[in-house]
Amino acid sequence: MKYIKCIIIIGVFILIFFFINHLLMPKYSETLREGSLTREYYKEDKNHEVIFLGDCEVYANFSPMVLYEKAGITSYVRGNSQQLINQSYYILKETLKYEIPKVVVFNVNSMRYGEDEKNEAYNRLLIDNMKWSKEKIDLINSSMTEGETFLSYVFPILRYHSRFSKLTSEDFKYFLKPKQNSFNGFLITKKIKPYTSLPPKKVLANYNFSDYSYEYLNKITELCQKNNIELILIKAPSLYPYWYNEYDNQIRQYALENNLDYYNLFEEKDVIGIDYQLDTYDGGLHLNLSGATKLSEYFAKILKDNYNLTDYRTDKKISSIYNEKLKEYNKLIKE
Amino acid sequence: MKNISKLLLTIMIAILLTTGCGKKEKEENVKNTAYTFVYEDKEFILGDVFTEDKYGKAIDYSEVASCAFEGLDKTYTYEHFVVTTYPSGNTDKIMSIYFNDSEISTTEGIKIGDSINDLTTKYGNEYEEEDNLYTYTLGKTHIKFIHENDIITSIEYTYDA
Repeated sequence: MKYIKCIIIIGVFILIFFFINHLLMPKYSETLREGSLTREYYKEDKNHEVIFLGDCEVYANFSPMVLYEKAGITSYVRGNSQQLINQSYYILKETLKYEIPKVVVFNVNSMRYGEDEKNEAYNRLLIDNMKWSKEKIDLINSSMTEGETFLSYVFPILRYHSRFSKLTSEDFKYFLKPKQNSFNGFLITKKIKPYTSLPPKKVLANYNFSDYSYEYLNKITELCQKNNIELILIKAPSLYPYWYNEYDNQIRQYALENNLDYYNLFEEKDVIGIDYQLDTYDGGLHLNLSGATKLSEYFAKILKDNYNLTDYRTDKKISSIYNEKLKEYNKLIKE
Repeated sequence: MKNISKLLLTIMIAILLTTGCGKKEKEENVKNTAYTFVYEDKEFILGDVFTEDKYGKAIDYSEVASCAFEGLDKTYTYEHFVVTTYPSGNTDKIMSIYFNDSEISTTEGIKIGDSINDLTTKYGNEYEEEDNLYTYTLGKTHIKFIHENDIITSIEYTYDA
């Protein structure tokens, strides 16, 4: 009897602990929507022929709904805010546990950052809602900044205890069921903030990508080769941060040496028809819905013409899933 | 049994309390322990609150949002240099000053186009060198000189926010 009581008490405390733990974690539903991107992938049917990989330059700029509507391509964006190249590698590894796409499209912007760009706040957006796996453990270990502890990812209460006094209605409203924010990993932003001016293009001491960046780019390349996946490198058409010619030359060289296709979409901005007075929500860093639609239409054609992808618009099962999503998507963009 | 309950409760409260200490910003008097930049009798202090009223009207202004978080890094362009600020509470503080041309000098008298020999004569040999970057540090401030073939091509003041 004594032991049963003891077990019940411990059980109740564990329940309370996990309840508080979950309550204190940000819900990433109405504020900091970017934090919802990792968790939303798990709910999806894993039938994508194309996976986009990278930072904000993918989740803001490529709409899988447009890719499907225009070319019948099934795709998902596995991008997060400031997703560094080591993180992209582990996210890709995790993705391949669920599905093997025909094509992985990797945005190379993160090559510019070495190990020094690790940032706790961005780590949280990416990792907080990731399912536990070997990839998550490796991702945490390779992402943590000096002041962080692994334990704080196991027990987020260690990180978020101070939110106790800052809880809002969002924390209760989405306690059980968080809000769905993206369409296959694409975050819609309709706001327009035209380009006016940008910070100066600074002279850099060293334009060479770090060994660290190359190490993870090699890992991504090898992982794709091992799984017979076509890896495509892209640079999204953002005005800032500047993509120096020296950066571009190194990627071209890498692509050549590794027999990969590379598209610098910034160079194609006029052909795509991007107008930085209308098609960006933050003065040229990210595209808004209008810009993302133009870019996705353009890229859908590249994928369709060159990569032997299936047109799923005639597939009964998949088209019914996508048509349902499209209905919701079109409703939202017209609001 | 009561003891177990008390113990568990104590552990939970301890976790909440011991990890509950937030970082308190220390206001430091940066002026005496930092590099500063003087332009037209105005002394730009890195880490100091920036307003155009205080430092003069810029000829251009731009802002850069972060990927997900609120707050903007703001850039104020003056005739010969650019000031970048970072958000701090309700204010913006000076994060960096970047020289646009060779028309201005650092407070110690170095400008773009000077040689590395001029630099070490004025600033001494206590610098960190990485590739073609020389960094001098004073407190939380740095002056970074980039050179090409021993001629300075870039000067920037930065601050560890």
